Amino acid sequence: MTLVLVSIFGAIGCVVRYLFEYLVRRNHPTSRPWATVAANALGTGIAGFTAYRLTGTADIEIRTIVLTGFCGGLTTFSSALAVPAILQREHHWGYAAALITTTPLICTGMFVLGMSLAH
Amino acid sequence: MRSHITLSPKQLGLAMLFVAIGGAAGTLIRDLALKINLYVVPRGTAIYPSPDWTHQIPWVLLAINTFGVFVATDLLRHRLKHHDPNDPTRLLLVTGFLGGLTSYSGLFVDLAAIWHLTIGGCLLVAAGAIVSGLFAGMLGLGRHRRRA
Repeated sequence: MTLVLVSIFGAIGCVVRYLFEYLVRRNHPTSRPWATVAANALGTGIAGFTAYRLTGTADIEIRTIVLTGFCGGLTTFSSALAVPAILQREHHWGYAAALITTTPLICTGMFVLGMSLAH
Repeated sequence: MRSHITLSPKQLGLAMLFVAIGGAAGTLIRDLALKINLYVVPRGTAIYPSPDWTHQIPWVLLAINTFGVFVATDLLRHRLKHHDPNDPTRLLLVTGFLGGLTSYSGLFVDLAAIWHLTIGGCLLVAAGAIVSGLFAGMLGLGRHRRRA
């Protein structure tokens, strides 16, 4: 049952990320990759909160559903590095470097924030 | 669906369905793969978090993430290069499946576990994850260059 719920919540996380990307692309077509950064930051923040809030043995299932399912679906590693790789090939070096460096830094900040809120 | 930046409610619903199907499959495979225990505890011994930080390295997730970057780069740069971001194939494979298969948040949760054991080890694994991802991206681009 947990496996099914993880899959369903993973799908929900992916759809939320897509809606982020869709809404940003609709209003600002050139700034699309930043929606992925925002989704990664939000997902990492929720993961930080959940990982340090749900620590009891009774919370294992909910923890797995939220962390592996929803947060895993909301965040993406593939696009976070594939897009900068393609951008540098198209000679957008500054943009690619900014994406590669800011994503981990912003996500670290959000994870620590989530962790702090959980305590 | 390809030429429109703004989708009608029906098109948006269909796009979300494609993302959800791919995302559910990707998340399911990642969850199953993460159940692989590389460090099998011998029978009869107590299960406890290993004090050895190297046992906390998320090898499976690192492999999944690296593979995901390689495939995504190859798809976006070559096979789906001229496909609109709302193209069903791109939504199903890149936004949905690969997005669900790979995880940035899962990596941070694993890095936090290593951080409590060794800060240097945590930074080393974090750097390794980024560098291996970049390397996979370059491989994906190179694959395209050989074909072109």
